[in-house]
Amino acid sequence: MSAAATETETLLESPGGSPLRRIAWHWRHNPKRELWGAWFTIIAFYNVFTVVFFIMTHTQPPPKPWLDAHGVVRWFDGYHNALLIGFGVMFVLTGMTVAQNALIAYSMRRMSVHPGFGYAYLVLYSLAGVPGSLLLCIVLTVGAMRPDRDPALMSWLYDFAFLSYVGTMGVFLVGSLVWMTAILLDKNNVFPKWFGYLNLCNALTEVVVSPAWIFHRGVFAWNGLIAWWIDMVVFGVYTGAFISLLRNMIQREDFGTGPLPELVPNKPNKPDKPGKAKRGPDSPSTMGAAR
Amino acid sequence: MNTLVKKRLLIAWLALSLMTLGYLAMDHSADRAGALRPSVAVTIGAVLIAAAKMRIIFREFMEVRHAPAWLGRLTDLCVLLLVASLLGSYFIGRAAG
Amino acid sequence: MTTSSVKEAEAGKAVPFVPGQPDMWFFALFETLVFTAYFVVYMFARMQHHEAFLQSQAKLSLSIGTFNTLVLLVSSWSMARCVKEARVGAYRSALTNAFLTASFGVVFLGSKIYEWVREIRLGYGFASDEFFSYYFFLTGIHALHLLIGFVVLGVVVHQLRSPERRSQNLVETGAVYWHTVDFLWVLVFSLLYVVR
Repeated sequence: MSAAATETETLLESPGGSPLRRIAWHWRHNPKRELWGAWFTIIAFYNVFTVVFFIMTHTQPPPKPWLDAHGVVRWFDGYHNALLIGFGVMFVLTGMTVAQNALIAYSMRRMSVHPGFGYAYLVLYSLAGVPGSLLLCIVLTVGAMRPDRDPALMSWLYDFAFLSYVGTMGVFLVGSLVWMTAILLDKNNVFPKWFGYLNLCNALTEVVVSPAWIFHRGVFAWNGLIAWWIDMVVFGVYTGAFISLLRNMIQREDFGTGPLPELVPNKPNKPDKPGKAKRGPDSPSTMGAAR
Repeated sequence: MNTLVKKRLLIAWLALSLMTLGYLAMDHSADRAGALRPSVAVTIGAVLIAAAKMRIIFREFMEVRHAPAWLGRLTDLCVLLLVASLLGSYFIGRAAG
Repeated sequence: MTTSSVKEAEAGKAVPFVPGQPDMWFFALFETLVFTAYFVVYMFARMQHHEAFLQSQAKLSLSIGTFNTLVLLVSSWSMARCVKEARVGAYRSALTNAFLTASFGVVFLGSKIYEWVREIRLGYGFASDEFFSYYFFLTGIHALHLLIGFVVLGVVVHQLRSPERRSQNLVETGAVYWHTVDFLWVLVFSLLYVVR
């Protein structure tokens, strides 16, 4: 079955012609169109996210945690329009993160592990999206829409928004560990083991942000060198790695249940790869991309 | 496990422990009446000894000695990068502070 | 196989091999880079308030720190012996060494907690002083790595226990993790206790 599926796909090479025609062809005939749809949605989401958070609202890197009440009112005032437009976009498009959660859960369903891993991840990351992104959007929009409120309240909203956004990493942490465990137990080679360990690195940085609750300034505050910048670099490496590995997974997907075949560029996959399936954790080649 | 292998591990551990105890001597040499005093020599010494210990752990305990050359080079590069970063941030911080 | 390894093989020496999964080496080096970044931030901050850092540093007990380091070095030594014993099939001895490693790990953690309590009793908490913020952060995040190390040791013991498993690769992988925790402590120790 698995060999047949890849065979079909390589035989069904899209016709030449304009890019539009090729896209239309894939839309109708590519057996992986849902997977590719989810993957491109991830790419689109991170682009929107970057524009809204980094460029429009300047909520990433986070603003100064030590602002007094009047400073906070001025901050809301200065970003009034950007907050409304930016987060308006986010309210419509946050749902795109579902594609990422779904594709990652799919990756775990393709592994040789219990389906519970995929579902646990799905639940955890859907939950994490609420304090980890939506609350910030809601709370800052409230601040922008009610500029006449007591500055003390505005200050509270500001703290609430950023502490919720930066400080609530526990659910993400557990989700990362679920994914890590699934990858390390998996015998289908869906992901290389080094990425399993990278999940641990990412989970550890989720612990490192927690001092942001205590400190108002310095390296441990919510915009600090240790609590934000170093973690952000690790998160960037992690995100880049999983986006490219998910792409790799879709390319290798054969819709079977056994080990995912390795990618053979421009050649149909050999129908049978003896040894691959039976390799235990001892085989160096199960370590996939660690070449 | 043959005795030669055992002996080699013992020697590696002894060297690491002696280097750790060496810190005590270094520490006393820099103190004056219980107060810690800044010392460039102690800082450089501490960083270099830590790097040397790290390399011994890599080569002996983590068996990089028996590993392909690329792993040896990679771990050495890691140690060098660490020393350069630590001393670099120390001296830049010193000049800026 | 490269020519040099062929030569070594002909000379009767062992063929070079990467101990454990290369993937764990990736983790070890990646975490070292992350720690290097923490260290750079610490060293720079230290030099901005040099006197204050030295005064707070004087409150640490170098003897407890040295004891800590020696204990962790002993644990690493037993871990290295565990790997070598498992390689020649001496699984009972390998298991003993794995348990020794864990015991020294527990002693390290115990003395770490004792030291934390001591500092806090002296009035130095996580947020009370800049040096101690770094101190508690670096020792804390290291202790977290050590706790994960116990899970890793559990996997190693699980492998060594049953003849059906006994994957030398996984034993070595676990060892690479444990030694990484060890050398990270060596660095943390020298930077918190010794550097002036």
